[in-house]
Amino acid sequence: MYSTRTLGRTAGVLGAAGALVLVATPALADNHTATVSVLHAVPDTPVDVYANGERLIDDFQPGTLTDPLQLPAGSYDLAVFPADAADASGEPLLSAMDVAVPAGANATVVAHLTEAGEPALTPFVNDTSAVPAGQARVTVRHTAAAPAVDVRAGGQVVIDGLTNPNEETLTVPAGTVTADVVVAGTDTVAIGPADLTLVEGTTTVVYAWGSADAGYELAVQAIAGQQSAPAGVPGGTAGLADDSGLPLPVGAAALAGVALAAAGAVRLARSSR
Amino acid sequence: MRPAAATVALGLALAVGTPTAWALTRPEAAAGPSLDRALSAPAVPSPPPAGAGDLPPVTVRDASPVAVPASPPPVRIELPGQAITAPVDLVGVAADGQMELPEDVDRIGWYRFGPAPGGPGNAVLAGHVDDREQGAGALFPLREVSPGAEIVITDATGQGTRWRVVSRELVHKQALPLGEIFAREGPPRLVVVTCGGPFLPEYRSYRDNVVVVAEPVADATP
Repeated sequence: MYSTRTLGRTAGVLGAAGALVLVATPALADNHTATVSVLHAVPDTPVDVYANGERLIDDFQPGTLTDPLQLPAGSYDLAVFPADAADASGEPLLSAMDVAVPAGANATVVAHLTEAGEPALTPFVNDTSAVPAGQARVTVRHTAAAPAVDVRAGGQVVIDGLTNPNEETLTVPAGTVTADVVVAGTDTVAIGPADLTLVEGTTTVVYAWGSADAGYELAVQAIAGQQSAPAGVPGGTAGLADDSGLPLPVGAAALAGVALAAAGAVRLARSSR
Repeated sequence: MRPAAATVALGLALAVGTPTAWALTRPEAAAGPSLDRALSAPAVPSPPPAGAGDLPPVTVRDASPVAVPASPPPVRIELPGQAITAPVDLVGVAADGQMELPEDVDRIGWYRFGPAPGGPGNAVLAGHVDDREQGAGALFPLREVSPGAEIVITDATGQGTRWRVVSRELVHKQALPLGEIFAREGPPRLVVVTCGGPFLPEYRSYRDNVVVVAEPVADATP
């Protein structure tokens, strides 16, 4: 079912993506680890995932996502086997050697189908740079066995002509949007509509995945921690709480004191003449 | 000559003594530990560095889109010691990038993008200290709140939580530690902000912010 050509191509994709990971400049870099999540988006195929010959994920179901893993930076040999095979025996469905995982990177490795329906492993770099206060970031990734699509929010096309395995990112006001995915340039709905909660200061990654046979679905990954604080706190236009300068009675008493002292001094000066 | 000298002495005493006495007896601009200290998070021990051969345990979850549950928002703030009781509105970010505040000076805004009171991090509530047309606002007495004072927050379900003021500080608006004030991690805190310090008529604004930090009272039901 999976030809050596596919494996070779997969390794090629991973090599290119490894370079991608290297190019990304991490905003919140730890010195020794990378943050890696894994999404399983190949329909109908539970798998086991191995890294450097050690089982990383057991019985990984389609449509599930790992929580972010803190992996020591380095290079990894990845292999994906059918979940019912004996441990790490036989031919892997997918494999990739020497995948570079640089320190500080934040990436999601997705096992998915290509547009033509062949399995592939694609690492995506997650944008974890700060978003302005009140805003949310949304990234849409096309990982389904399907041609180009448009993404609509509230009926309006917000991303057009997205193809597998590409992504597009928008920064939008935080809130809930009703989104669907349509065949590019048409009103033919492929997925949705679904309500997506775009949390402020969070990157919400939406994956379109599946196939015509198995059906198309959305997978969602939320990456928190990109919030910015507001620019300040306003709060008052009248000056009633002004606390600079002396209160009037204190000032008046001090002035009276000065006048009194002056008068006394004049009298002193006159009497001593 | 003698009465004249006494007049001079009395006058000088009055001129110097009255402002001195006023300065000595006026409430301090700050009370309790400094804002930096009050907002500092305890150090989190960093996990031991993993060897290149060790893989961490993996947890997986369903990736289908789900509604994110929101904790009930605060609806009322009370400072019994200062006779402050004010309704709380949900606010976000104004067009100028600053925290949005309710126009009505009798209402307080809760920064809805940050933590709700009781969650990890700082729940930020703020209001106008005054307004040229409406007069003094609900938080006008905030500049006199002392450490130890009680704050009661009531949420939309009617549940009340009690908080104890740990510090009050007057901070120059340009030097406000915004990242620390709006922190979303760390122990649960309440940060109540309004304006204070000298009024700058040319900007129709105060120079400073009054920042009060409170921590939850262990037994949380009033």
